[in-house]
Amino acid sequence: MTPTQITAKWRPAVGTVRAAVPILLLLGLVTLIGALRPSFLTADTLLVVMADTATLFILAAGITFVVMLGGIDLSIQAVASLSSVIVAVMLSRVGYWAFPATLLVGFITGAFSGIVHVWLRIPSFIVTLATSGLVAAAALLLSQERSITIGEAGRAYLSWITGRPFGMPSVIMIGALVACVGIWLQRYTPFGRYSTAIGAGEAATWASGVKVNRQKVIAYSLSAGLAALAGILLAGRLSSGSPTLANELLLPAIAAVVVGGTSITGGAGGIGRTVVGALIISVVRVGMTFVGVDIFAQQIVFGTVLILAVAVTIDRTKILIVK
Amino acid sequence: MEPQIGPPSADPPTPQIRSSERRDRNSKRSLHRLKPYAPFFALVVLSLLIGAMNPRFFEFNNAIRIANSAAIPLVLALGMTFIIVLGSIDLSVEGVLAIGAVVISLLVRNNGNSLDLGWFGVVLAILACGAIGCLNGAIHVGLRIPSFMVTLGMWFIGVGVATLVLGGSTVRVLDQGIRSLALERFLDFPIAVWVALGALGITWVIERQTRIGRYIYAIGGGEDLAALSGIPVKRVKIIVFTIAGTLFGLGGLLAAAQLGQGNALIGSGRLFSTVTAVVVGGTALTGGEGGVLNTLVGVLIMAVLGNGMVLLGISPDLQQGVQGVLIIVAVALSLDRARLKIVK
Amino acid sequence: MLTVEHVSKAFAGVQALDDVNVEIGVNEVVGLVGENGAGKSTLMRILAGVYSPDHGSLKLDGAPVFLRSPREANLNGIGIVFQEQSLLLNLTVGENIYLGQEAEFTRLGLINRRRLNAAALRQLDKVEVDIDPRTRTSDLTFAERQMVELAKALALEERTERHLVILLDEPTSVLEQHDIDILFARVRALKRRASFVFVSHRLDEILELSDRIYVMKDGRVVGQMQAGTTTVPQLHQMMVGRDRHAEYYRESRQRSPREEIVMEARGLSVKGAYREVDFVLRKGEVLGIAGVVGSGREELTRTLFGFVPQTSGTLQIDGHEVRLAVPSQAADHGVGYIPRERRTEGLVLSLPISLNVTLSSLPVNRITGAISLSRERQLAKSWVDKLRIRTPNVEALCLNLSGGNQQKVVLAKWMNARAHILIFDHPTRGLDVGAKEEVYELIRDLSEEGAAIVLTADTLEETIGLCHSILVMRDGQVTARFDASPGRKPSQVDLIRHMV
Repeated sequence: MTPTQITAKWRPAVGTVRAAVPILLLLGLVTLIGALRPSFLTADTLLVVMADTATLFILAAGITFVVMLGGIDLSIQAVASLSSVIVAVMLSRVGYWAFPATLLVGFITGAFSGIVHVWLRIPSFIVTLATSGLVAAAALLLSQERSITIGEAGRAYLSWITGRPFGMPSVIMIGALVACVGIWLQRYTPFGRYSTAIGAGEAATWASGVKVNRQKVIAYSLSAGLAALAGILLAGRLSSGSPTLANELLLPAIAAVVVGGTSITGGAGGIGRTVVGALIISVVRVGMTFVGVDIFAQQIVFGTVLILAVAVTIDRTKILIVK
Repeated sequence: MEPQIGPPSADPPTPQIRSSERRDRNSKRSLHRLKPYAPFFALVVLSLLIGAMNPRFFEFNNAIRIANSAAIPLVLALGMTFIIVLGSIDLSVEGVLAIGAVVISLLVRNNGNSLDLGWFGVVLAILACGAIGCLNGAIHVGLRIPSFMVTLGMWFIGVGVATLVLGGSTVRVLDQGIRSLALERFLDFPIAVWVALGALGITWVIERQTRIGRYIYAIGGGEDLAALSGIPVKRVKIIVFTIAGTLFGLGGLLAAAQLGQGNALIGSGRLFSTVTAVVVGGTALTGGEGGVLNTLVGVLIMAVLGNGMVLLGISPDLQQGVQGVLIIVAVALSLDRARLKIVK
Repeated sequence: MLTVEHVSKAFAGVQALDDVNVEIGVNEVVGLVGENGAGKSTLMRILAGVYSPDHGSLKLDGAPVFLRSPREANLNGIGIVFQEQSLLLNLTVGENIYLGQEAEFTRLGLINRRRLNAAALRQLDKVEVDIDPRTRTSDLTFAERQMVELAKALALEERTERHLVILLDEPTSVLEQHDIDILFARVRALKRRASFVFVSHRLDEILELSDRIYVMKDGRVVGQMQAGTTTVPQLHQMMVGRDRHAEYYRESRQRSPREEIVMEARGLSVKGAYREVDFVLRKGEVLGIAGVVGSGREELTRTLFGFVPQTSGTLQIDGHEVRLAVPSQAADHGVGYIPRERRTEGLVLSLPISLNVTLSSLPVNRITGAISLSRERQLAKSWVDKLRIRTPNVEALCLNLSGGNQQKVVLAKWMNARAHILIFDHPTRGLDVGAKEEVYELIRDLSEEGAAIVLTADTLEETIGLCHSILVMRDGQVTARFDASPGRKPSQVDLIRHMV
């Protein structure tokens, strides 16, 4: 398995054949669906696809930071759902303050997962599973198990999410912003560099004097923080919040990361890849509906795609014993 | 067979025990001996606490309620136990359970089609679930993909297939034989409880008396050593995943009987409670420790907790939160952290 | 009976065994001695079926045998007793003794525990030890586990027609004297049923237990003697051989260290590993730590970089008292670590040279907080030039570099981080002669520039050649100190005497 070559220059997904595959796959899919249903290729449809992708991508970007380190975050859907509830409940009362408050809750949740993970040495998938339980409970309590519609008073504050500046849905721009910041974080900041190093060789990174534990906590905080952002956007687009809003999004988010080419063992890939991965997932989703594939079959497709993508991208030289 | 790259490091990484340490070990031994019983004590203490706050806890009817609420979780957790003892994880519980429930619902007398295969249909469905488990194991072992990834994918495939087959709706089970599992009683306890106990008995025998049971612990305790000793690691793993799939399917049967219907989301939330039950019972995530009796205690703790929360008037929403805390505490207490250098 | 004929074995270019010939007769104890890296472990593992020889063969009663796995070794009557690595702690004693062999006690898939435990008891009786086979292995003491391993090896008697050969790999390092006496008594009693190959760094024990002794050095057998007519000093002499030419270690470049103390240890101890270690390290000094397996020197080295914090005693760096709980603290104090496991702890192999070189000291733009990638490439290039790292460019992955060049990248990393105290842990392991010499040059350069170095070397030669002063450790304590200024260098025998 050829490791990804991380070079000093900004080069989107070139270098090894494996890196180019997701982009080719995306182009191939768009072409295929366009051939079968030309209406797919209209600007309107494509914008819808991209708007859909935006929230999915933001969720997936958060997970990407954690996966780069070699971990996984199974709490993002719960955090996103909770965030939608917080927004729905608080918007009419505190106005714009609801947004930073929600983001803060997200970061704190992630920090909690990260701290428990490094301090108590509990594997990430268990910690984040546990956190998802705590967060889900909080969401249920806060929402009293109901879906909460955002009233007229609250909707005024959502215009930044539902608006269409320059004719493009603002979520796309928010998503693009997250992508740029994310890519910058990853390539040009110590945090990003250390995350890659930890994923690619944790022992060497420790032995180089890097504060590994701190980096991990930051990554988990970021992951949950982005999940909170995604939840806010979802609440905005649906004008409501509910404790199970994002539950269906965990698998597509993980799939987006993996299909994009980021290795599940860490150390290779990144936000840029996740952009491509998220687009692929969205195109598949929307495309399947367009082409007439049963909506119920989509879960099956995703599950299969996930397993196949991991099988191809995993770096087996790093794990001697597969558990 | 060359386990290392490069010349063997001249020093085996062993701790040096001096005589003072040896004395410490002997005195610590008694405390150490009690450790495996901690979950059991926790169960007893918890029960007494709840009973003290609401004596209705001790009524016989309540015991029946607890047992009934523990039946399905027990069956699922038994399947999960062997997998965790191996050192792996199976996230596909909800998917396989859904398939089991849905397929059974469609094969026995139901309101969706004209099939009426009765218990034969049940057997088919459970075998199918076993096959899914087998597939999990085969992909994990053959393609060398971490178990959590394979089973994560299979989780959604399972739910997806169940959804697809039902076209998004539900189907009602009309076969009274199946429903009797939940509705009829034997010695005051629902038959489902006896089925769960039966599963417990069988898995107990597997764990303690069979060769494969010992192999599971050997692999969990030291996979490379087990392999070097000639244990057929791959085969054992596939069998374990198959057993899990079968038990998840059995859980699906009980769920369909209880609910009187099959639907794709019938297993929702079960993954979390199943893993929590196994871990809280004292089976370590790192593998090689614990067992089905531990799982029984773990399941009872969860059932008692759920029951207690109702009796004490605590909102059921909190249940997941409490489980979250429990799982962290249980894992933190059970892992031998000194040995785990790198945790991912 | 069991002969090793012209066996050679190399790992990644390093010759671990070179044309080794050994004979193990019936009912005798053969002792195997040699320095670290002499090849003892490799030979044992070849006998145990863990490795296969590159050249040469093993013969049993004159007929060649191919041991492709430990199971095949077992079927041929060869069993190995590791210190504690071949027992699964979560299983019972009986289950461990018959691990993998349960078939003979199984019918219809069910194990007959009574028969298994009875059989296990029979094996335990052979070793005359009183342990209930139903005991959980983790509940046993080290000495008891040793006995169980012995019993497990003896269980082979019933599975093979061959004479038993039991390999004892450093069995005494974790035992108290009392238990050692018991072990030796058992081995002597068992000689009539098995032959033994006994490896230990404690020469007095080797002489006490063995009938014949082979001395190994640098992968070759350099001597064979009868235990009865040999003395410890004779073994010392054979183990070390001729001292190498002084210029190989650039001794002419060795200058006196400066006065300034950069690191000081007093009463430094890690429970279970070493105790009461004192030393003073000055600017420009190269301090060597000599010792064999289990002497505590490995743990001491790791303490100095924060992997294994001390349980008592004090450590001072530049006058400040410190307790290094994690490596990042050591790095923050200006300490660098060149690890023994270069491929896992030294470098992130799948990343390029430039990223590895800056990992401990990222060039960050003060205003933006971003890494200056151009500066990073510049730095990497300058280190590649300065250390003469052979690579087409700085974007090359470290995976593709030779061992010597990889080591230079590790050094560049710490030099870039301006570490003024460098801990070298087996720095020339796995390197060819040319690469080794380059490392020696670099060590001289560094010490001339004022860096203080703690060196845990692969061979005594290196230690003596490179260092200004040497600490010798044995069984967790400092047993000797030597001044190793040029002209006053101790001999290898001087050191060995305090090591074994």
